[in-house]
Parts: sequence; structure tokens; C-alpha cells
Amino acid sequence: MRRYALEEDIDAVVIGTGAGGAPLLARLARAGLKIVALEAGKHWAPARDFATDEYSQSKLFWTEERLSAGLDPVPFGSNNSGTGVGGSTLHYTAYVPRPQPDDFQLYTEFGKGVNWPIGYQDLQPYYEELEQFLGVSGPARYPWGAPRRLAYPLAPLPLNGAAQLMQRGCDLLGIRSAPAPNAAVSAPYFQEGLGWRAACTNRGFCQAGCTTGAKASMDVTYIPLAIRYGAEVRAESFVTQLAIDQSGRVSGVIYEHDGVEHRQKCRNVFLCAGAIETPRLLLINQLANSSGQVGQNFMVHTGMQVWGQFEEEVRPYKGIPGALISEDTHRPVAADFAGGYLLQSIGIMPVTYATQLARGRGWWGETLTQCMRGYNHTAGINILGDCLPYAENFLELSGEKDGRGLPKPRIHFSFGENERRLTAHAEKIMREIWQLAGAQDIWSYNRGPHTIGTCRMGAHARDAVVNSEGQSFDIPNLYIADNSIFPSALSANPALTIMALSLRIADRFLASII
Amino acid sequence: MRDDHYAPGTVTALLETDHVTAPTRQILLERLAQNPAAAPRFFDGTAFELLRMVSARLIPQPHPARCIDLAGLLDTQLLESPGKGWRYDSLPPDDQAFRVGLQGIHETSVEMFAQPFTALNEREQIAVLTAVQKGIAPGAIWQQLPANRFFEELLAALVVIYYAHPWSQEDIGVVAMADKQGWHSIGLDELETIEPVALNKRTHDTAGKF
Repeated sequence: MRRYALEEDIDAVVIGTGAGGAPLLARLARAGLKIVALEAGKHWAPARDFATDEYSQSKLFWTEERLSAGLDPVPFGSNNSGTGVGGSTLHYTAYVPRPQPDDFQLYTEFGKGVNWPIGYQDLQPYYEELEQFLGVSGPARYPWGAPRRLAYPLAPLPLNGAAQLMQRGCDLLGIRSAPAPNAAVSAPYFQEGLGWRAACTNRGFCQAGCTTGAKASMDVTYIPLAIRYGAEVRAESFVTQLAIDQSGRVSGVIYEHDGVEHRQKCRNVFLCAGAIETPRLLLINQLANSSGQVGQNFMVHTGMQVWGQFEEEVRPYKGIPGALISEDTHRPVAADFAGGYLLQSIGIMPVTYATQLARGRGWWGETLTQCMRGYNHTAGINILGDCLPYAENFLELSGEKDGRGLPKPRIHFSFGENERRLTAHAEKIMREIWQLAGAQDIWSYNRGPHTIGTCRMGAHARDAVVNSEGQSFDIPNLYIADNSIFPSALSANPALTIMALSLRIADRFLASII
Repeated sequence: MRDDHYAPGTVTALLETDHVTAPTRQILLERLAQNPAAAPRFFDGTAFELLRMVSARLIPQPHPARCIDLAGLLDTQLLESPGKGWRYDSLPPDDQAFRVGLQGIHETSVEMFAQPFTALNEREQIAVLTAVQKGIAPGAIWQQLPANRFFEELLAALVVIYYAHPWSQEDIGVVAMADKQGWHSIGLDELETIEPVALNKRTHDTAGKF
């Protein structure tokens, strides 16, 4: 790996190496730019460092404490905040449906939420590029959304028990379903910069880290490509400060490595630390916030799960967790809410399921242990639906300090009326699917996966933090490329769109400096 | 309800085979060999004894001879773990919440039954814990510390420790860790040859009897 000196005035520092940071890191390096990525977590070697064990793999989660407030406090760490080279893609399930064109124009369609300053057509070329590059496995003809110019490069991953059951229920209810697009390779796939990635072995522990490289986390895709093109990746480097020169531009990045403070000189900064750490760093440094929008409009997705127990053995630890999809509920007829949602089948790891029974059902004693003895017969469906931005949902700095003496973030979140209506609609359908599929003991677990918003992109400096090219309105050489710039949540899992935005921001940046 | 438990020793025997990767084997063998300190280090002796009784009520274990030391492991975790990444804003930091919350359970026991929790019978202990979980438990501490949130955190912490242990995985019929060769039979009612059949299926088929 190429190395750069701290005092060398490099072209850019990228903060964070997840779905936001890694794609643009590779893009900028390919263009010949001198570029360094700073990542708070470690650079793992999965085959050596990852066990099939939920407890020890919690090392992939961002474990520094966040304070969760509001009527629906959001759990962080597991499932929505990662650390390590690759960021949250180390523990994502690789479910990569595209949003649909109307998702970007919610206000136009419903008079609620906001429109994005860019549209589906701006991201479509990047979705196509990503699906080919990552090796997405999916159906030959995708039944929903905008027509596709390119098919998924690989055949779908096999359906596991949960997917077969959801397919059965959907067929009986007259809902179309299809094998889901997943960024895990169903056949050996050549990865530029890395070599051959072996086909997925159906481990089902994607959320505890992929040991085989079949899952397209950033550490086996864009990171090795970026390194090949000359980027330097510095792991275990926690950024505390952005240095600002007299003209108001970023001139360097200050970070801690092994307890020692370093300062990397640079001409541009790409902040890709996710919808919590990105606004937190800006608020701590009191930067890029003339709009007052840093930390505002925090969102999740509507993500209710409905679980059931079946006569058949499901063994929910086998197979890609989200093997089946339906988007028939993208714009339900006569719905009393704005937006919509998709349906997916889900497998689940045992400790995660037990924790949900404890937190969600409040079960303990023999009730809990007896229910867990039916774990092998358990299958789930969940939704991934839109979530509107609200003024009362936001991130702020608390008065409590972390181990470095920096303020811990406090995140306020409450579902609004629109999310409650959407979720009620979805719960009814999911329960019907499970009843028809033969489930017993059906129960629902409401949750809000993902972290979104807090540094909104928009057309005007007065009400947005960055423009449609990810550039700060206040600091022209500061860019944000992660889930924090989403103006609304979209009714699709965010990873693919974060990567698409990352590539687009890189391309616009490169066009601007030529 | 289904009951797919395995015979004791099923999972631990698999750990010695080539179906488990080296990193997985190492982690799980270490967990089996874990021996929490004889004396608690995070909690004081009285609180620890209370925690042991509460843990036994929250997660009853099937084999007295192979009982996972939930209280001891939680004591160690509270000292050594980096944390889980978040907490309810209405709760103080974990170290305070767990100490004060256990004191709250003691207070509630005295208020409800005029005796410490450790002296209560099973029915009384369940009544105390239920009141704490519902947030209706008497006691001054719960004016400061939301009882229901504390209960949820304590329960979740114990559940994670319990179900991460190979012994509990035998109790629920899980061999997810034996995935070195991957899984090829993943559909409904499809088992790999290395996936043991649940005990109740070997003796008599209970299909349909929920």
C-alpha cells in the first residue's frame, strides 16, 4: 500500500470506509489523486478474525455510547452502526433493492416529506455500475420499478425456509414475490483489485460478518481496488477535528491513532462517517452549520418484523437472511399514508432472536426458554418502508463526555402519524401472509433500522447542509457522502443508494477540478 | 410450542470436528472454559447474591450440573466490555443503572413482602420482578430510575450471555457454528447430515402439537 506523509498536501482525506467512503475512495484514487482514508476501526482479515458467533462478532459494531431519547428510542450498535475497514457493510445483510423513481419525489406525489434535489435518473447509471461491480445476485427480470437496462449479473441465491414460507403465503394472498437482489455472489465472481470471490455458502450469519468474501462488503470490493489505485487506508484512526484556515477552508484533519494525535494536511475532505458520527463531528467543531440543519431530520426506516412458528423445520441460521422480496406494497391502493414499503423474508441468528423476544415481547422465565426451543421453526417477514423527516427528530450533543472527552450524541426519535399508519397497514398484510403460510404464535416486533438524515442535501444554503453534489454550502472543500445527506428515507434499504451517491459525488468532484 | 432441544454434549462434540472453523472453535472453547472470578468484582457480595437469584428466575436453566454462571459473566462484562453502543437516555450509565437497579429490586421486595428478594419464595420473586418489568413496583429508587427500562436492560444483557453459550444452543437445537463447509440443504425440512435431529423427533414425532 502506498503511504503519504502527514505534511504532504494530499488531494483529499476520506473519513470513514463504509458504503459512503469506500466507493469514492476508489474513484478518486483511480483518477490519480493522492488520497488517504481514515477509519476508526480495525482492518480485519475475516477468515482469520471472524467466528460464527454473535457475541464475539459484536466487535464489528460501533460500541461508543449514544443516548437514545424520544418516544421510540433507537437502539444503536448492532445492525445499524459499524466500525472497521468496510464500516457497516461488514455487518449488513447485503439486501440491495433499488429505490423506485417516485421515492425521490415524495412531496410532489403526496404533499408530505420532501423531494430530493436529484432524481432516480441521476443515480440509475450508478445503480447499474454497482450491481455489476459488487456481483449482485437477483432475478433475471425484476418485476417492479423502472425498466432495467442491465440484468443482475448473477442468478438469485437459493431460497431458504423463511423465503419458501413467505412465497407460499404471498401466492395464496395474491401478492407477487421474487428472489431478492442480494450483494452476495451466487457463483464465483472476479473482483477487480482482489481476485476471485467464492460463491456464497449460505452461512446466514451475514450480520456477524462474512468469513468467505462472498458478501460484497467494502473490504473485499472497493477498498482493495482503492489500494491498488494508490489510496492509503489508515485503520484505527479516529478523527476529532477538522482544521480550518483563514479563508474558511479545511486545511487538514486531526485524528488519534494509538493514543497519539496526528494532523494530515489536505486540500479536500470527504466526510463519510454515517448519520450519527458525521453530524457529531461537525457539531463538535461548530462547522458547516449556517443553515442550522446539522443534526436535524434524523430518520430511520419503518421496519416492523412479524414472526411465526411453523410445523416445518426452518433453521433460520441458514441461507442469505433476506432471500425473497415483494414490492407490491410500494404504493398500496387506498392507503392512508404517504409513501410505501417493500416486504422481505428474514432469517435470524439465535442470540438476536432471543434478545428480541426479551425486549419486544418482554418474555422471561420458562416462557422465554420454551419459546426459544422452537427457534428452529421460526421465520420472519419484515418491511422496509419510508420514514418522513420531522423537526422533533434530531441529534444533539449531550453534556456527557466519552472516553476522549468529546460529548456523546443524544438522538431524539419518535415515529410520526405517517409511520404509524404505514406500519399498521404492513402488519395486517404480514400477519395474513403468515396465517396463510401456516404460522402459529404470530407476533410483531416494531423497530426502526438504519440511521438516515442529519446533514440534508438540498437546493438552498438556507435549509440544507450540502448541495446535490455533496458539497458543503459553507465550506467549499468539504463534502459529505453518506446516509446523513438523504433528505428522506426512501422505501429501499440504504446501502446501494449510499454507494451510488458516493460514486456520483466523486464524479462531480473530479469534473469540477479538471 | 416446538421443542427442538438436543442431547447435552451435541454441540460441544461438534466443536472438535472439521465442521467448525478455527476462529469459531477457539472462541467457543474459550467460552466453555470461562470461569468467572470466585468473588464478584463489579458488584458487592449482597448485590451479587441478589443478581444470582434474579438471573435464575429470568432464565431458568435445564441442567443443574451444567449451569451457566450468568451473574458471574455479567459481573465480568460490566467491568471489561466496551458497551453496546447506546443506552436509553432515561437511564444513567450502565455501571450506575445495574447497581442502583438491583438495590431497587431489594427495595421492592421489602415493600411488597417485608423481606429481601433472596428470602422470598418463587411466587413472590416472580411478583416482584413482574412489578418491576411493568414499571409499577413500589420503592423510592424507581422514582429516579425507570423500572421498566432497567428491567429490559438487565434481561437483555442476561439473555445475550445465556444464548451465546454452547450449552444453551444445545437446549434450542442450534448448530449454526458448524458451518465451515457451508450449508447446502437450506429449504424447509431440509437437514444437512451434520445437523443433529432434535431429541423429541428421535423418540416420538410431535408434529402438529403446539
